[in-house]
Amino acid sequence: DNMHRSDNRGSWEFQPEDTLTEETGNFPSTLAQANFKIMSESWRQHRKHVFVLSEAGKPIYSRYGNEEALSSTMGVMMALVSFVQAGGNMIQSIFSDEHTVVFLQKGPLVFVSVSATRQSEQQLRRELLHVYHQIVSMLTQASINRIFERRKNFDLRRLLFGSEKVLDGLLDVMDSDPSFMLSAVQCLPLPSSSRDALSHILQKAITPDLVFSFLIANNRLVSVVQEKTVLEDARLKPSDLHLLFNLIRASAFQAGEIWMPICLPLFNHDCYFYAYVAYLDPPECTVCLVLLSTDKEAFYAVAECKRKIEEAFASQNALQWVANTQLYYVDDISVANLRHFLYKPSKVLDHHRQLSQEERIRLLDPYRNMHNRIHSTSRPLKLIYHSAGKETLLAWVTSKFEMFACFTPLVTKKSAISELTKLLRWIKKEEDRLFIFIYAFPLTFQSQPCKRQSVTQNVKK
Amino acid sequence: LISPRMASGMQEKQYTPSLLSFFIYNPKFGPREGEEEKKILFYHPIEIEKNEKIRNVGLCEAIVQFTRTFSPTNPAKSLHTQKNRQFFHEAEENYWMVMVVRNPMVEKPNKDGKPPTVEYQEEEIIDSVYGSVLQQCYCMYKLFNGTFSRAFEAGGVELLTQKLEKFFYRYLQTLHLQSCDLLDVFGGISFFPLDKMTYLKIQSFVNRVEESLSLVKYTAFLYNDQLIWSGLEQDDMRILYKYLTTSLFPRHSEPELAGRDSPLRPEVAGNLLHYGRFLTGPANLKDPDAKFRFPRIFVNTEDSYEELHLIVYKAMTAAVCFMVNAAVDLNREFCEQLDSLVGPQLTLLASDICEQFNINRRISGPEKEPQFKFIYFNHMNLAEKSTIHMRKTASVSLTSVHPDLMKILGDINCDFARVNEDEEIIVKAMTDYWVVGKKSDQRELYVILNQKNANLIEVNEEVKRLDMMGMDYFTTLKLSIVQVLLTASV
Repeated sequence: DNMHRSDNRGSWEFQPEDTLTEETGNFPSTLAQANFKIMSESWRQHRKHVFVLSEAGKPIYSRYGNEEALSSTMGVMMALVSFVQAGGNMIQSIFSDEHTVVFLQKGPLVFVSVSATRQSEQQLRRELLHVYHQIVSMLTQASINRIFERRKNFDLRRLLFGSEKVLDGLLDVMDSDPSFMLSAVQCLPLPSSSRDALSHILQKAITPDLVFSFLIANNRLVSVVQEKTVLEDARLKPSDLHLLFNLIRASAFQAGEIWMPICLPLFNHDCYFYAYVAYLDPPECTVCLVLLSTDKEAFYAVAECKRKIEEAFASQNALQWVANTQLYYVDDISVANLRHFLYKPSKVLDHHRQLSQEERIRLLDPYRNMHNRIHSTSRPLKLIYHSAGKETLLAWVTSKFEMFACFTPLVTKKSAISELTKLLRWIKKEEDRLFIFIYAFPLTFQSQPCKRQSVTQNVKK
Repeated sequence: LISPRMASGMQEKQYTPSLLSFFIYNPKFGPREGEEEKKILFYHPIEIEKNEKIRNVGLCEAIVQFTRTFSPTNPAKSLHTQKNRQFFHEAEENYWMVMVVRNPMVEKPNKDGKPPTVEYQEEEIIDSVYGSVLQQCYCMYKLFNGTFSRAFEAGGVELLTQKLEKFFYRYLQTLHLQSCDLLDVFGGISFFPLDKMTYLKIQSFVNRVEESLSLVKYTAFLYNDQLIWSGLEQDDMRILYKYLTTSLFPRHSEPELAGRDSPLRPEVAGNLLHYGRFLTGPANLKDPDAKFRFPRIFVNTEDSYEELHLIVYKAMTAAVCFMVNAAVDLNREFCEQLDSLVGPQLTLLASDICEQFNINRRISGPEKEPQFKFIYFNHMNLAEKSTIHMRKTASVSLTSVHPDLMKILGDINCDFARVNEDEEIIVKAMTDYWVVGKKSDQRELYVILNQKNANLIEVNEEVKRLDMMGMDYFTTLKLSIVQVLLTASV
């Protein structure tokens, strides 16, 4: 079965089909028919295909299948894009009963998603944008553009060798984690005193050119500190954080430390940071420290920061706070009909885990559909209440928050509202513990340069 | 001080969706390189250069084939581009129909003589609405011309292209894409609510006529542009209904409204015994030299494939369709026979219905008809009712609600279509309107409520109340429908 990654990198045969399109300007229907046969049933069954190709039609990545074998399919995709472009127009998507095909072009790269998930075009396109950004996070936008400017036929796989699993990982997590739908980052619930103490430790461990320090536990953000003078008004976008987390996840190391270049595309898409990554609790490896520096040569200095942090943690037994964190369950609040919810105050998100992983992933589909309707650019909604056979779903957006909830199917509207009200009251009470209000307040300024500023101090408005 | 806006006449211009092109092709007719032109059976606008036509058709083929890569049996239905949207419909095996609609757009003027910025509003077009419009184009063509394959069998590509040209040239001019909405998705029939007695009168009238005029194969009875009884299959009646109510009846409505002495008023038969007249066929029975013919329609195209004469005969607001095998030659004698038989009876029946209807309204009171804004559709019998549309003909659809609300209804309908279960969706729209969509038992009901500060509970109570009120109305509706179903199956 040739359905695994192509080992043949760096060599690219110029396909005869390419000349055909150029000559006649017509669509050789034989081209489209040809690749019909290669595809196996199992390949077709995949819920979401994602393809990345260059403007010249060269394959770069395919989520499933051997991208070399798919080169003619990709050729067709590129031909569709160019054909519509030649008419002074831009192709966006194709809809059929079972699939949605979405196109995105960013510079010299073309992204195509073929999805049976019934997500909206806007949601699928946003996912493709994440894929683009993940590639940028590994190469930077400036170098991608430069490479293709010099050589339109360049095979980008040469540079992305070994990185397929990063993209695979990103696509997998986008399909299972609602954080992407809500453009938010999940935080570890912690009493604010503990969080402040942890942040304080991070703040103290500095070295020139160190600009960010992150503490992550179980894929949830615990604390972020940011160097004030180097990055004055800069804000970290949740999307960049997701890309960073994904890169770390994909590198799948355990013991020891990594020093790797990483670009944060929404922050600055043309230059690299250098990330020092280490787990503070081997062998469990659930607590991860990430230190970002602008200096390529600063490995030893940054490693020293890590050592200081480790020492401080050990002396205060800080890791225990993280381990002791209680994830909450809906039973705490006695809302009998509420099965699951997602809540996002204007900036940050959280959700709880009463349902199994599978069920939560399944809920993503209807949540995404409601999210799409609520945020429609032409006819947005404030509230959706959808009662169906399996469950009752609710989506609600106000100026202060956005919320998605799932109830048992026979819940009455009265109980649903009353349980929701109880939940909202509880969230309000636990706000400190649940969320990191990174963006809700201005940074307080320090007069000395290179003094670290913690962004996690909760300044109440 | 003149505002700069006024001084240069700066206004935002809103463009509604419009038809860019419409074509029909069959890839089998020109499978080899160099033969592409042969695939094209119809293309509007005709002025488009040949190679461009070929390229556009080629693009559609490529898209259909590309989507077959992922699902062989469910290829593309629509293509979204920034400027337009293309809808694909495989009407018959290998016969593809494509409709290209320009996206609605807003032209915003720029200062200093710069060209205006154009903003395309893709979200405004709902695929299910225009996809249905395209499908209906085929159904209407088929009603008057039979299937593509039969035409091809009878006279090859030449005959087929001739028929397509003749029909679509005119029909496309009647498409008013800016006023398509959810009702186009349903393609339903409005039924006239009747009491049992009157219904039986109509049924026995139909039976009597069919007995006396043995040539009549099928009959349909309408009153006030609404259906009461039909002997045709549902899908055939649905498209015939659309033709009658959006094309034939409006064309003939003026004379009836004309005053007694107006030259428009048709010649009433010498004996003044009735107000019946032919809407199709002989316009004036008294003139022996006048030529006439009845339009031909094709029904039951899936099995028995029948070609029929369509006789439409009207008296006041009652209209009857008689369908006779097209092989029969309908002469003046037959028409006179029909006229003298049906004219008086239909005239009497029409006034009976009117009287009964008024009596019923007086008894039950004006509250019987729900006063709220709603759209109702029953998938089983195609019954449709809308209190939102004030007038819906081929050329205009006046709705009493904001178009965005109609699109929200369209969105809810799309969500309903995803699963085959009973569901309810309540949404609060930005403008503080609540929209309630209910789907149960193959029926869909959409209600629009304007209740600014209401919450979900209050809205729920209101809908329950309306449901109860509407219950009687819908029950009557259902009753007459059940009767239609029962008698149609006989």
